[in-house]
Amino acid sequence: MTGLIREIRFLSSDRAALLWLGIAVLVAALSVVMGLRETASQRAVLSELIEFDRAERAVVGELYRDWGDAAYYTFHLTYDSPSDFAFAALGQRDTSPWKHSIRALALEGQIYETDAENPVLALTGRFDFAFAANLLAPLLLILLLHDLRSRERTAGRFELLSATAAVRGSPWFARAVLRVGALTLCLIAPLWVGGLLAGTGASDLALASLIVALHLGFWWGVCAIADRFGWSSPVNLTVLIGAWLALAVIVPAAIKLSVEAAVPLPDGGDILLTQREAVNDAWDLPKSETMEPFIERHPEWADYTEVSQPFEWKWYYAFQQVGDQTVEPLSDAYREGRIERDRLAGTLAWLSPPALAERALQAIAGTGMAASLAYEQRVRDFHAELRAYYYPRLFRDETVSDASLAQRPEFGVDGALPPHPHR
Amino acid sequence: MPVLSAQALSVVRSRQQVLKDVSFSIPQGEVHALLGGNGAGKSTTLLTFLGFLAPASGSVHVQGRDVHENLAAARRAIAYLPESATLYGHLSAYENLRYFLSLAGTDTDRDELDAALDRVALQPEARGMRMQTYSKGMRQKVAIALAILRDTPILLLDEPTSGLDPVAIDEFNRLARDLAEAGRTILLVTHDVYGACHVADRIDLLQSGVLVGAFDRPPGMDRIDTEAVHAAFAKHAAA
Repeated sequence: MTGLIREIRFLSSDRAALLWLGIAVLVAALSVVMGLRETASQRAVLSELIEFDRAERAVVGELYRDWGDAAYYTFHLTYDSPSDFAFAALGQRDTSPWKHSIRALALEGQIYETDAENPVLALTGRFDFAFAANLLAPLLLILLLHDLRSRERTAGRFELLSATAAVRGSPWFARAVLRVGALTLCLIAPLWVGGLLAGTGASDLALASLIVALHLGFWWGVCAIADRFGWSSPVNLTVLIGAWLALAVIVPAAIKLSVEAAVPLPDGGDILLTQREAVNDAWDLPKSETMEPFIERHPEWADYTEVSQPFEWKWYYAFQQVGDQTVEPLSDAYREGRIERDRLAGTLAWLSPPALAERALQAIAGTGMAASLAYEQRVRDFHAELRAYYYPRLFRDETVSDASLAQRPEFGVDGALPPHPHR
Repeated sequence: MPVLSAQALSVVRSRQQVLKDVSFSIPQGEVHALLGGNGAGKSTTLLTFLGFLAPASGSVHVQGRDVHENLAAARRAIAYLPESATLYGHLSAYENLRYFLSLAGTDTDRDELDAALDRVALQPEARGMRMQTYSKGMRQKVAIALAILRDTPILLLDEPTSGLDPVAIDEFNRLARDLAEAGRTILLVTHDVYGACHVADRIDLLQSGVLVGAFDRPPGMDRIDTEAVHAAFAKHAAA
């Protein structure tokens, strides 16, 4: 304890160390503020959309006199609210959709649509806590630890310190513990403040803090190994920055390329194009060619397949579904490929502690690929509910009524689908 | 039993033999000087006593125990003053002394610090100032004060008068003699013939890692014969 107090006093007079720690607080605080702003903005957008959705739902009965029109023109909002820890690790919420307004038409043409506000920004990613803690913090730790012994050697103090410290143990461990501890504190203090503001559970914050501490602990180990070689401070720094570059930048990039090469995916454009072509071609095909594959999937409507008019809504919605069925193998392969890629990336992330820590934070935040795929599945499930709601009304040619409209599925309401089941 | 002893000590650094078959012993209360030119192996000898270097052959003993088998005990018994001791420039003399003494597990109050700094004649007004503003001699005085405050039975001093002015060197010599008379054993290494002759009870002349001569203070004399030592030093340096 005496040693720690002595080193606290010593650290408090080390201007360079205080500068790096100050930068750590600043970077962490900035990342938390930006994360909070982003999630607040996403929540505000969702609140507004939910209000619009409710307003639209209220007037559908006045606008449309048949179910075909109602199903065609009515958009149904689906969304994936940010979790109360999403501010710290925005993850896939940069690039993957977290809100979809879908119709009861073919789903495959809708589900991959997204409305990223600025694709360039989405490409570079957001500056969030996960970025600060996993990519920048190791650099700060390297700056704090790289010359722990080497600068004492250069200054001619190493032997004096080591020989003097014979009674209570060397100062190196206490100095390293203090620097690692102080940096961890500088990072997680803003995180906890952000967590309190966002209403994050203490267990999530504690787990995230543990991940940050373990990750920094890994880099402490790397610094300690480099220190064993007795190199000078510049050589130490060069080697450690090289290690950081390899583990935080090159290995993750190599993992991404390897995973993409190992698990090829169907082209998203092909899915969209094939589905569109199937739907468009249906206009020119005999109606039986649409209804037969439809009935294979929905035998309960076999008695309602007769289409006597040139255009009937039930035929129209049947060929929308057949369009989806046509690309089902491609769509399944795309989805399974993404799951496999995510699984493989998760395994290979053990080669890169920064990537592993980032995935762990995203898992807590519910913003990783798994969460993105889960939202996509909930949209598919909801779309299936929409079809299950509209088909009886379309095939039986029922009259639009307020009572019937009141039974329309609503995403995340009436126990249908919670907005973020991963939390 | 000698407090410090080297027996047939040989040390190799960077594939170069820097000490060859060096033997000496120092009884308690003696000031022993290792005199030699640059690269003679003086500092290497001190680092071997501190356990930073291992003998290629032979051994070094502190208080009768082999250093490399009892490293912690050896270091506990020794206060070490490195050559051109650079204490922390961003700390004051008081803060440096407190830091290093805390590291050694020694609690000292301000009066004790002042008493030690008085003994090395460091100006009182400088003691609270950051040491980066100190001259080399002032820094050396603080380092000597640290060695005194350690209150260990043995002092290993590497060029202790480096950077000191003549008055301060005389004060240091008196201080070293006082410490020896109080029972502390001092091994100092230096290339200052005059200073070594004035302070030491015995001088071993080291040249290229080999002991080439030894000079004792004659009974009743206040110093070793400077001219004889100087002549031997010059002769071996020329060789």
